[in-house]
Amino acid sequence: MIWLTWRQHRIEGLVTLSVLVAGSAFLLITGLSMAHSIQDSGLGACVASHPNDYSSACGALAALFLQQYAPLVPFVFALLLFPILLGALIGAPLVAREYEQRTNLLVWMQSVTRTRWLTVKLLLILGASALVGAALLALLTRWYVPIDQFAGRFNQLAFDFSGPVLIASTVMALALGIAMGALTRRTVAAIFLTLALLVGIRILVEFNLRPNYQPLVVVTWPFSQDQPLGSANPPITLGREDWQVSSGFLDAQGNQTHGIHCTSDKQTPLQCAQDAGYRGNYLAYQPAGRFWTFQWIETGIYLAISALAVAVTFWVVRRRLG
Amino acid sequence: MALQDCTLTLPAGRVAALVGPNGAGKTTLLHLCAGLLEPTEGDVQVLGRSPRQRTAETLPRLSFVAQDHPLYKSFTAADLLTMGRRLNPRWDNALARSRMQALDIPLNRSVGKLSGGQQAQVALALALGKRPDLLLLDEPLASLDPLARRDFLRTLMDAEAETGMTLLLSSHIIADLERVCDYLIILSASRVQLAGDIQEITQTHWRVIGPRQEVEAAARGQTIIEASHTGRQTTLLVRTDAPIPEPVGETSWAVEEASLEDIVLAYLGQQARESSAQRREMEVAQ
Repeated sequence: MIWLTWRQHRIEGLVTLSVLVAGSAFLLITGLSMAHSIQDSGLGACVASHPNDYSSACGALAALFLQQYAPLVPFVFALLLFPILLGALIGAPLVAREYEQRTNLLVWMQSVTRTRWLTVKLLLILGASALVGAALLALLTRWYVPIDQFAGRFNQLAFDFSGPVLIASTVMALALGIAMGALTRRTVAAIFLTLALLVGIRILVEFNLRPNYQPLVVVTWPFSQDQPLGSANPPITLGREDWQVSSGFLDAQGNQTHGIHCTSDKQTPLQCAQDAGYRGNYLAYQPAGRFWTFQWIETGIYLAISALAVAVTFWVVRRRLG
Repeated sequence: MALQDCTLTLPAGRVAALVGPNGAGKTTLLHLCAGLLEPTEGDVQVLGRSPRQRTAETLPRLSFVAQDHPLYKSFTAADLLTMGRRLNPRWDNALARSRMQALDIPLNRSVGKLSGGQQAQVALALALGKRPDLLLLDEPLASLDPLARRDFLRTLMDAEAETGMTLLLSSHIIADLERVCDYLIILSASRVQLAGDIQEITQTHWRVIGPRQEVEAAARGQTIIEASHTGRQTTLLVRTDAPIPEPVGETSWAVEEASLEDIVLAYLGQQARESSAQRREMEVAQ
């Protein structure tokens, strides 16, 4: 079975490996360039000498640095989408193609039971996907070290490649793809269904679930009379590892809003806001100490989805013939 | 529901033809025997085992060539042999390899590029390499040209003669299988219409031809499978264990042996008439 799995998927495996090699070359080159730039511009030295207030002391240098390397973000994002592609292009056809080309009738009549056939395939493919996830994790974690010094890892982009969630999401991509292939038994349908599901899960997790795994810590404070509205001075300073999820104003009912609706233009914005009943500013964030809790919660979610997908695949393969 | 009231025993060591029109349930029956499907009702015993205990113990003793002989098209014949060797404990690599070499099938070209007849031979070699006690073939000849049919059947019968395995082949035309089979199962409209030794079947079915009244008198007390009337002449296909009385004296009727094809067509026709009669009854009831 191991030989058969290798024979059937060796090309996919080699393509995956070459993408990883190309990705690591890209990350190595840009990573070295970033490290040099931080050293040459003095940003590294500045952050090192102002560990607690680097954002005010080294803000200009950091902004310059981020501006210089911002164009890299889409490439890194593309590497994070790679597992989704693997799920759609390797996972979805895995069982679907056997049904579609009726080769299930060939392979299930060898002296290997269907259950064993599927068990070995899933172990190997999901195991390989865990390795791919781990390789991506190692590459991106290493690459992010220079940025980590002042941007931290507890934010929407870096969280994805800074811990076990990357491995779990890669395994989930493959497992879901395989399950969709088993359910539809049509390769093309399974590919599109897998893409839609994975993107949907991703959006749901990043924007709805992840910021709320634990209740947000909300800081509120009144408007300051001697400062213009909008340049509010919060009573706390967030560290680089704190994740600021949102900020804005508290309206008359105490709800959080991002803007102020003012009807009169005679007053200053501050007077207007106070007349309209706005109570003050708020800041909602997840403290740095929750990073690993969040990683494990999200890893658990992805692994639970994977387990469900594997169960569905077994159920279909043991019952459906064509 | 593909099969109903389907009771059938296939003796070991026979070469059996499973014949019926398209959609009669032949493929379902073969999939049930192969353990690929489980019956929703009733039981299937293959090589002395029922489906639930089957897989682990029976799989190595059972081969199945599905309709249109599916193969991994990107694999070479050598890859498929490796697959057979690695997945089957009773695998006979020399046997499978020599069969392919005897037929000049290139081992290192992907099988998707081989002709239909060669692909069928590769599928058969894979099935035979398992050294099965029971070999099931679903419409093995349907997609082959006459020459490839002859070669395929020759390979099959050589292997049968060497090993004495039980063979069950399905087809919608009996002519394909008449020369190689010694057992016949007629399946139609999800039911077994007839099952038995081919020699016995041909010895107990007769065509009685002549004027209607005399023919019906001669066949009195026998089972009439099919009657057809043209002008003054009537033909009956009769099943009987007792000999039909020979025409004596000045009669104008005759008895002759029925060909296997006649018999098959008669049973299939009988089923068609019954179901159309049922339909008429239902229409009347409505």
